[in-house]
This record gives sequence, structure tokens and C-alpha cells, in this order.
Amino acid sequence: MSDGPDSGRPAFTLVEVPQATEDPAQDDMAALFSAPVQDGTRRKGDIFRPGPGPMVEFRGVTKTYQGNSRGLDDVSLRIGTGEFVFLVGPSGSGKSTFIRLIIRELRPTEGSVIVGGRELGELRRGKVPYLRRAIGCVFQDFRLLPDRTAAENVAYALQVTGHKKAEVRRRVPEILSLVGLDGKYDRLPRELSGGEQQRVSIARALVNHPRLLIADEPTGNLDPETSLGIMDLLLRINRTGTTVLVATHDRHTVDRMQMRVIALQEGRVVRDEESSGYHDRTGEVPA
Amino acid sequence: MRIGMFFREALRSIRANAAISVAATVTALIAVFILGAFIPSFMYVRSAVDSQKAKVDVDVYIADTASVAQVNSLRDRLNGLRTDGTVAEVTYVSKEDALRIMRERLRDPSVLDELPSNPLPAKFNVRPTDAENADVIVAAVKDDPALDPTEGIVYPESTADRLLTAAKFVQWAGFVLIGILLLAAVLLIGNTIRLSIFARRREVEVMRLVGATNWFIRWPFMIEGVICGLVGAVVAVGMLWGIKVGVVDAWAAGADSALTKTGSAAGTIAFPMLTLVLVGAGALLGAIGSGITLRRFLKV
Ligand SMILES: Nc1ncnc2c1ncn2[C@@H]1O[C@H](COP(=O)(O)OP(=O)(O)OP(=O)(O)O)[C@@H](O)[C@H]1O
Ligand SMILES: [Mg+2]
Repeated sequence: MSDGPDSGRPAFTLVEVPQATEDPAQDDMAALFSAPVQDGTRRKGDIFRPGPGPMVEFRGVTKTYQGNSRGLDDVSLRIGTGEFVFLVGPSGSGKSTFIRLIIRELRPTEGSVIVGGRELGELRRGKVPYLRRAIGCVFQDFRLLPDRTAAENVAYALQVTGHKKAEVRRRVPEILSLVGLDGKYDRLPRELSGGEQQRVSIARALVNHPRLLIADEPTGNLDPETSLGIMDLLLRINRTGTTVLVATHDRHTVDRMQMRVIALQEGRVVRDEESSGYHDRTGEVPA
Repeated sequence: MRIGMFFREALRSIRANAAISVAATVTALIAVFILGAFIPSFMYVRSAVDSQKAKVDVDVYIADTASVAQVNSLRDRLNGLRTDGTVAEVTYVSKEDALRIMRERLRDPSVLDELPSNPLPAKFNVRPTDAENADVIVAAVKDDPALDPTEGIVYPESTADRLLTAAKFVQWAGFVLIGILLLAAVLLIGNTIRLSIFARRREVEVMRLVGATNWFIRWPFMIEGVICGLVGAVVAVGMLWGIKVGVVDAWAAGADSALTKTGSAAGTIAFPMLTLVLVGAGALLGAIGSGITLRRFLKV
């Protein structure tokens, strides 16, 4: 492949926010994200409690890092099952901290985090891997395994959940192709551009059909066009019933999509609005 | 499928941290080599001591004046010791037998012809199951009326004691040395596995974040330790084989006649058995070494 990912055919073709019934891509997505995600039946090893409750709930959560640096400050909010939410705010406002609390990479200093009906503070250590399998997470710094190819990185997430070899062989190319990485399956992360690594990270987060998909700056390293493609992908996944939480600085994307926006500043929620843009309705930078 | 995957993961880790894996392998090699040199030597010494110990027997001399009933009662007492496991064998040596044996031993048996009567008493030759039991036998029959008043009971007390002390020393020294050696090897291998974990700590972190369980992450490291232990053991066995064929066998062939002359029945462990033991030990060293480390350093 001498073609770069962005020369020639674009990785994604973004149609105006598609109508679910008319869009053939939507059917592909439904096929890829098979039934369990939609009908809410419990999968093997699933630790989420069934029920109508919110997917994520923060109750008075404060996270203080060592050296008294504040990550989050008394945050209380709910994210309903099936919602699409943007988490915005300037650098250092606590977006990554928020996300790391959800996957229990961090534990709150005060308050409680409840995910899928599970109070994470009460979750036994041995259960944490199962929590993480139910959540797909795209990390701000990708967190790819450096000595594994793109395909192997994605496969690892499937192997962890005990998928059969044949299943892994079938699903990995499917999902890599979905994020526009055709022909780059056998590249090591260091042989991929930042944006390509990011897409491997996205593929890995998607491959297990998570109930909750979290993306920390998923378009941070992407050109506007690919960026749109990724956002479109996340939206289509959201349509299959998956709850999606995206932390971003990308103002254009947020403004264009008009979804729920939670704005953080210095660890506090300063705005939480349905169908909103990157900034306040007054057009002011959130103060 | 699972095992195969963990195995591939282990090989991947070994390749990624070649230097560390080589260190662990060499550690196992040295430990197994020393163990492999030590075990046969130790067993040789022990078997030499044992074969000497087997020769420690007790002669219970019978007075010429003892009645048939008294002799029978003494025999019964000794046979009683045989049933409780102290004694392996009781042989009656009559006065005539004793004289004949004496005659065979002497360079010039004609001197015996000049004796007016047979001065040698009859005896029971008692072979204890273990040299340590000699005292028990002596204590059991020392007041027997049938005993010869002058000869009484004779057994090579000092030889037996010295042999026993030597045997015990060899045994304990051997166990302690092997113990220290194995402990050191386990700790060293554990330490190299710790380095391997440390070198891959970012990866381990990522594995956890995508939902790998503790054991899913641990197995490859465990297998890595076992592979290093096995490879080290196999190389060590190869080296030992070379030394055995090139040095020990040649030396033993030369010394063979000398050894048989002294009547030493000492033997040692057969090489295939030794190989089995050492390869097993190598694998176990690796498993325990990495197991201990994983418990300490790989928690969710
Ligand atoms: N491990 C840590 N130790 C100490 N302080 C930390 C640590 N991680 C984050 N912080 C601090 O917590 C605050 C929130 O950080 P966080 O990473 O959540 O910000 P963010 O909103 O994700 O920023 P960005 O948009 O730059 O990624 C910052 O002030 C940061 O310095
Ligand atoms: Mg961040």
C-alpha cells in the first residue's frame, strides 16, 4: 500500500446524519453489532445488572490526586442507557479523570461511581476485568501493545474474553476494515501514524460489542474528514443501543452533532445540556 | 486452544526480553548443573556408607556349658527381635563351623591341629536391619544365661558409631546444601521473572485495561519461567552427560578393579533417572520461581 490513508479514497464517507431506516450502512452496523447489544440480554460474564437504571451515575464524586491536585470536584450526574454524550472542557478540566473512574482505573477519593447498576467501590478486585470487558474504551494515549500488530492488538481484546480462534479471525479484519485500516493489519503500532493508531484503539474498543463505549479524544490526531468519519461511526454504534461517551476538544464536531453536552471546568460540571454545542447557548466560553 | 495461546504469549515475551530470558535460563542451568553433579556424588557416598553399615553385625557367643534348652531360649529371643523388625537375619554358627571358618582364614591352618580341643565357642551371628539397632540387640540379650562369660557379645562398636555419624552427616549436609541451592535458584529465577514483568509493566497495564484477568496475564509469565527452567535443565543435562562420558566413566573403568577389591558395593543413580529428576527440577524451579514472583508483583 503506497497510498496513505487519507490520499485517494477517504476512509469514510460521511453522509448527512443518516436516517436509520433508509441507510444501508445502518444495516451493516446492526449485523456487526449483533443482537445482544440491542435486546439487553445478559451475556456470559456480564456483570451489569439488568434494569432501567442509568448506565453511569456519579454521586458526589471527588478525586484528589497525590500532592492535592484536584481531578474532579463533587460531581453528580447520570448518563442514561443508550445516550450519546459529549464531555467537553479545557485541558486539565478532569475529562480523563472522569473516564478513568468509570473503568475503575482510578477510585474516587469521595462519593460513588455506579456503572451498569454496579457500585464500583463494592466491586471485588476479581470482577474488575469483567467490568472492563463490558466497557469499550478508546484511550487518549491509545494504549496499544507495542510488540503486536494492529490485528493482534484487536485480537487480544477478543482472546481476553475467550473467543474462539475462528471467531477472532473473522471479526478482526471486519472491525479493522470498519475503521478504515484495510491493508494495515500487520503493521506494528510504531509503523502506523498517530491517527491510524487511534483507529486501532477504536477498533479494539468496538470489537467486543461493549454496552458502554467511552472515547477519550478519539479524533485528537485525525484530520477533519477522518474525524467526521469516526464520529459518524460512533453515532451509528449508538443507534444499535450502545451508550456512548466522548471526551473531546473538537468544537466543530460537538456543534455539528447537537447531542447532550457535559462541560467540565477545574473538575466541576459547569454545564449539562441536551442537544447542545461546544459552547453555552449564549455563545460564551463556559465560565 | 487456551494452552496454545498462552504458550505463544510466553514465547513472545521471551523473544521480547531475550536478555532477561537468557539470564533466567543460565540461572536454571547453573543450579541444575550443580544439582546434577551433587546428586550422584551424594548418592555414591551414601551407598558406600550403607554398604559398610550392612556389614555391622553382632556376634552373640554361646557358653560351652549352656544347655540345649538355654540355647533354644536365646535363639527364640533373637528370633523375637526379627519379628519386630530390629534384626534382619540370625545365623547359628556351631563350634565346628567356627573352627572351619578359622581354618579357612589362617594362612597356616596346621597350627589348629595342635589344639587339644576346639577352643572356639558357638555363636549366633545377628545381622541388624539397621546398624543403629546393634545397641538394641545387645541390650536385649546381654543378661542371657546362655552367653559365653568371656566372649559375651561382640560387635564393632566404634566402627558402627563412626559410620553412623558419617552417614548422618553426609545425609544432613546433603539436604542442607541441596536446599540452599534450590532456594537460591528459585529466588534468582523469580527475580529474573520480576525483571521480565517490570520490562513489560506498561503492557501488563494495558492488558488489564482491556479486561484481562489476573491469570490470563499470569499464565504466559508462568510458562516463560517453566520454559527457561526446562531449557536450562536440558543444557545442564547435556553438559553433565559430556562430563560423565568423557571423565567419570573413563576414571571409573580404571578404578574399577580397585573398587571391587575393597568389596565396595557402592552404586549411584542411573543417568536416565538423573535426567528425569533434573529436567523435572528445572521445570519446577521455573514454575515456583515465577509463581512466587507473580503472587507478589502481578495483582490487579
Ligand atoms: N496521576 C496524576 N497525578 C496528579 N495529578 C493528576 C494526575 N492525573 C491528572 N492529574 C491532574 O488532574 C487534573 C485533571 O486531569 P485530566 O487528565 O482529567 O484532564 P483532561 O480534562 O483529561 O485534560 P486533557 O484535555 O488535557 O486530556 C489536571 O489538573 C491534572 O494535572
Ligand atoms: Mg485527558
